[in-house]
Amino acid sequence: MKKIFEISKWEFLEKVRTKAFILSLIITPALVILISIGGTLISSTEEESTKMIGILDPSMSYYYPLLQNLQNYTIEKGKPAYIVLNLNQTTNSLEQNIKDADSEVIENKLSGYVLIQKFSPDSISVEYRSKSVGNFKDVQRVEDAIEEVRIDLSLSKLGVNPDLLKSSLKKINISEITIKEGSKAHKADFITEFLSSIIFIMLLLMMIIYSGQMLVRSLVEEKSNRLIEILVSSCSPEELLAGKILGLSALGLFQRLIWASIGIALAGSAMIPSSAFSNAAIMLVYFILGFLFYTALFVGIGSIVTTEQEAQQITSYLSLMLVLPIAISASAISNPDSVLVQVLSYIPFTLPAIMLLKINVIDVPTPEIITTVGIMILSIYITIIAASKIFRIGILSYGKKPGLKELISWIWEK
Amino acid sequence: MLVVKKLTKIYKNVTAVNDLSFTVNEGKIFGLLGPNGAGKTTTIRTVLNIIKPTSGEISFFDQSITRNFLNEIGYLPEDRGLYKKSRVNEIILYFASLKNMPHTKARKQSDYWLNKLEIKQYKDRRIEELSKGNQQKVQFIISIIHNPRLLILDEPFSGFDPINQQIIRETILSFVNEGKLIILSTHMMDIAERMCSDILLLNKGKEVVSGSLSQLKKNFGANMVELGFEGNIDAIKNLSYVKSIDNYNNYAEIQLNDSIEPYVFLRDVANKMKVNHFRIIEPTLNKIFIDMIKQSN
Repeated sequence: MKKIFEISKWEFLEKVRTKAFILSLIITPALVILISIGGTLISSTEEESTKMIGILDPSMSYYYPLLQNLQNYTIEKGKPAYIVLNLNQTTNSLEQNIKDADSEVIENKLSGYVLIQKFSPDSISVEYRSKSVGNFKDVQRVEDAIEEVRIDLSLSKLGVNPDLLKSSLKKINISEITIKEGSKAHKADFITEFLSSIIFIMLLLMMIIYSGQMLVRSLVEEKSNRLIEILVSSCSPEELLAGKILGLSALGLFQRLIWASIGIALAGSAMIPSSAFSNAAIMLVYFILGFLFYTALFVGIGSIVTTEQEAQQITSYLSLMLVLPIAISASAISNPDSVLVQVLSYIPFTLPAIMLLKINVIDVPTPEIITTVGIMILSIYITIIAASKIFRIGILSYGKKPGLKELISWIWEK
Repeated sequence: MLVVKKLTKIYKNVTAVNDLSFTVNEGKIFGLLGPNGAGKTTTIRTVLNIIKPTSGEISFFDQSITRNFLNEIGYLPEDRGLYKKSRVNEIILYFASLKNMPHTKARKQSDYWLNKLEIKQYKDRRIEELSKGNQQKVQFIISIIHNPRLLILDEPFSGFDPINQQIIRETILSFVNEGKLIILSTHMMDIAERMCSDILLLNKGKEVVSGSLSQLKKNFGANMVELGFEGNIDAIKNLSYVKSIDNYNNYAEIQLNDSIEPYVFLRDVANKMKVNHFRIIEPTLNKIFIDMIKQSN
């Protein structure tokens, strides 16, 4: 036991002090933050200055309502988003007005203008003319405003109060309630459930890949510099295996803990409602079981490779198996009783991820939980036994990768 | 005392070690010799208990060897490497802890050996900053820091310059005086010849010859002379009682039939060429090695 502790301590301390690890602590959250708030950042910089927008409406029936509507938009510190100019010079012809307005846009005096042409009482044409396309927000606002003005105008012609219409057009959001056995009805929100499940699975996936790769890499390093021979002449292969798994898992957990603290510090718990984690205990069980299963697999496979390239090849195959549940997650959540999901929830490779998905969406019956946990424990037991047998022989063999037949003979060797 | 009896290790269909028996005594250096692929590493690994023998017994001070003895064995493998990014002192203490050495004692011993091998100034450096020779010294310290009773050294001198070879040699000899069991596996015959009292010569997993080195030389029964000469070696080749010639151009090592007296040979050659020097010699271990391996092949 003491040696296991020494090995895990070494693995943890050696890796935790590396530049790569310290960088990963900062870079990953930084990337997540960039991606999630990057969009908002970009669209808000667009708004930083007040824009000059013109309206050219020879009929003048849209000018005032549109002006009012656009003046409602503000940017920081209450500054108006738009300064609206009336471009309609009644003394000039329409063609002349358009020509003047276009040149003002080209000279950057205006960022754009709205051209409203009325052909008949019921038909108008609206153009937003500017130097570049892609002013989605401005165009959208103009569109919304004109739509509103148009409806108001035609309704008031018919003598209908526009407010009445607005209230009758209001959208209704249906909230879904899932009914749980023996407990209170609980308000469910697809997005929340989806997110919390996916977050758990992503965490599982990232941790497995990260720790698994570390594990394989450290084995390959020790094999290539023959340190493995000194190690196994100092402790048993099983102690080495256990020490490595413990140390690197602790490292993975530590990393996640730091990320979580950064996340909570920055965003508070606002991102995901805590109600999404009401199944946290059982989810954690599947999380740990899945992690142990894959780590044991990584060890078995990692001990037979000799080079970094082989290691990467193999870890990427294993990772693909992990991605499968994510690929089907959306449909699995909406239809957790489908045959595919049922089958996948009994296969050890996909079981943890699928159960992490299911447990949030439906009330999984206790027998199913017991069976699946049992399957996982049994698979982990078998994998660890097989992996440690392969490990015992694999770490001392170099060169050609053993075939499947040979691997099986290793497992049976006493 | 380490006793290996009838050790056999079979991998699938390859017999790596075949019915090998030997004894390693305290206070002597045991030379485990043999060409590449002879089964030396497999033998070492079974003694280290890293791999299980197919059959045979290994006992260490009259007890069957098990993992319980791991802490009493020191091992310096032939291929060497260390964690490149780790620091000298930390890596030494890590391996000491794996040998169940108490931390304070390990610290003291680490300082002692770093000082003795003249690398104490690198104590807190990273391994990758050290020269190859100094990295090897760190490895040597790792294999001996826990004061093992049995020390297995695989090519301990390779990669060292003559000065460091001397330091390592003196250290190993001091272990001999302390009564440790030492197994030295090497290709360097001159080193084995000078350091080992007992040797075991392996080829293709089988014992070729074993025993004390002095006895071995006697048994090899060589009637050998060294001849410095000027002239054509063919003149010697034609002599009927010459068994073999190792020609080094300026001189040759010549083995004669057991029945012939060396002075007869000298008389015969002196007539045919200019002799610069003449000496009766013992066979070198190198000679024994080459001849024995050739024979067994």
